[in-house]
Amino acid sequence: MRTLEEVRSRIKALEAMPTVPAIVQPLISTLKTAPEEVNVEKVVELVSYDSTIAAQCLRMANSPLFGRQNTETVRSAILALGLKRIEAILLGCCLNTMVPSGQWALEAVTFWRHSLGCALVSCKLAKLIGYPDPEKAYLAGLLHDLGILVNTLVCSEEYRRYIQIARDKHVALEQSEAEHLGFTHCQSGKLLAEHWKFSADLVAVIEFHHTPAAAPVALPLVSLVHLSDLLCRLRDLGHGYYEAMGVDLAGDTAWAVLVEHYPALARMDLARLTMDIDGAMEEITATVDAVFKTGSSATA
Amino acid sequence: MQMSAAKAVATVGDNLKDPAYLKIRDMIYQVSGIYQPEEKLYLLASRCTRRMSAVKVNTPAEYLEHLTVRGNRENELRLLLNEITIGETYMFRSPPQLEALRNVILPQIRAAKSALGFKRLHLWSAGCSTGEEPYTLAMFLLEEGQKLLAGWTFDILATDLNDNSLTAARAGIYGDYALRSTSELLRRKYFKPCDEKRLQATEQLKSVIRFERVNLNDDSKMTFLKGLDLIFCCNVLIYFDLASKRKVMQHFYSNLLPGGYLFLGHAESLYQVDDRFHLVHFPGTIGYWKPPVGYAGGIKR
Repeated sequence: MRTLEEVRSRIKALEAMPTVPAIVQPLISTLKTAPEEVNVEKVVELVSYDSTIAAQCLRMANSPLFGRQNTETVRSAILALGLKRIEAILLGCCLNTMVPSGQWALEAVTFWRHSLGCALVSCKLAKLIGYPDPEKAYLAGLLHDLGILVNTLVCSEEYRRYIQIARDKHVALEQSEAEHLGFTHCQSGKLLAEHWKFSADLVAVIEFHHTPAAAPVALPLVSLVHLSDLLCRLRDLGHGYYEAMGVDLAGDTAWAVLVEHYPALARMDLARLTMDIDGAMEEITATVDAVFKTGSSATA
Repeated sequence: MQMSAAKAVATVGDNLKDPAYLKIRDMIYQVSGIYQPEEKLYLLASRCTRRMSAVKVNTPAEYLEHLTVRGNRENELRLLLNEITIGETYMFRSPPQLEALRNVILPQIRAAKSALGFKRLHLWSAGCSTGEEPYTLAMFLLEEGQKLLAGWTFDILATDLNDNSLTAARAGIYGDYALRSTSELLRRKYFKPCDEKRLQATEQLKSVIRFERVNLNDDSKMTFLKGLDLIFCCNVLIYFDLASKRKVMQHFYSNLLPGGYLFLGHAESLYQVDDRFHLVHFPGTIGYWKPPVGYAGGIKR
């Protein structure tokens, strides 16, 4: 068993890892900036430093999931999908290159199917209920499981065993982590998010997406991602195994919190949203396969 | 003349973007509760294509007229719904539903009922058609009986309005299509050869199911049914108008014991039909739950 202190010191050393792309830090700071204040040329220039990431980003932007933009440059991708979406895609691609291809504890495609699924569901749910910043919801959904990457980097072998235990027992990943690892991906993810100076609401999502009622800030965003995460795990966009659970989403405390802020949720057709997620599943899978399967071997 | 399959697909693909398909989708959802996500619109389109050639129209917009303003629109809608739900009955059609029963629901019901000293399960397949669903449940429970439900007994009520369907269900004779997802092991255990191409359910399998003719609109009969743990009602309510749907749902709610579940067809939704049932998500499937008294919400594992 490891301690969070060990994880903390490993995280400080992460920056020195050759696999952490140099553009991560500048990207995180532009993500915190309001879109109208971001210099598009600056982002384009940043991306041009890393051809692997630029290529992955374009594959993602051109996937059917995002309406086949047929863009050939990062600049035109930004015009087609919007700066915030491209930055989120870029950050995802950066994070992907951090884990050497043989070291993934949860398969890379499983992790990205879940993360991308959660991003899309969070964004869709945000739009349905009138949450004012759907792109923020997208980013939060994409990054909520950052701690799984941290655990993978810090203790790949051990972590693989504990994921297997969760798989065998059909229980949630965080339950196995808490029992065997001594901490969860929520705690380790928070350490990296703070170290990288993510905005406070993103840090809260990463730390509290399994216990939304405890979030000190950004309660609606954390609740929204919590529900989207559950929905994904219940519709075959989870962590790649059967979790034995029945969830009354409308009976969840996170639901009550969101309804308080966004009354439209109370009238939302949940069954229809669920079937829409099923409908999008093939495209999510195809996109992740196209971007990350080839992506991980290219960077190996 | 019949169009070749390839030609039909090409035609559908060409005009999939026709907004009339979205209108037809929305209308079907509003009227029947059956929903097709946008990515699966090609399925709806191919079903519409068959009806379009039957009523001899060329465009989805013209067909939409047949469904909305023509004199025989109700009949046409019924025929389209038949096309949409066709081929939905075969045994073991919904593994996620059975997994939810095995991993979540039965352990839950077993715990709740054991605490009260009960050791019997009551299931109802409402609108059982030719019997694929109740036979699936019977095989599943007979198999689980040796593990999860050791020491328990169960009964399955299977009802339909259609006498011909009930006769076929009672006979329990099935061909390859109905048995396509039934394992060789279960086929050998619960079926015997009937003729060259078909198998017949054994007496043991039949003995756990009671087939009866029930009209879900018959209030006196519906009020009489009590104490159920699970109701399965797949693609039946889609043919009912909103008022009848609401009435049937009220009956189902009182037919069920607290903690019981209702399952519908995989694309069916109860949105704006009923607000007493709680929509519960299980991996890959959804069920409608009658919560016990004093329920305060949360995740059930």
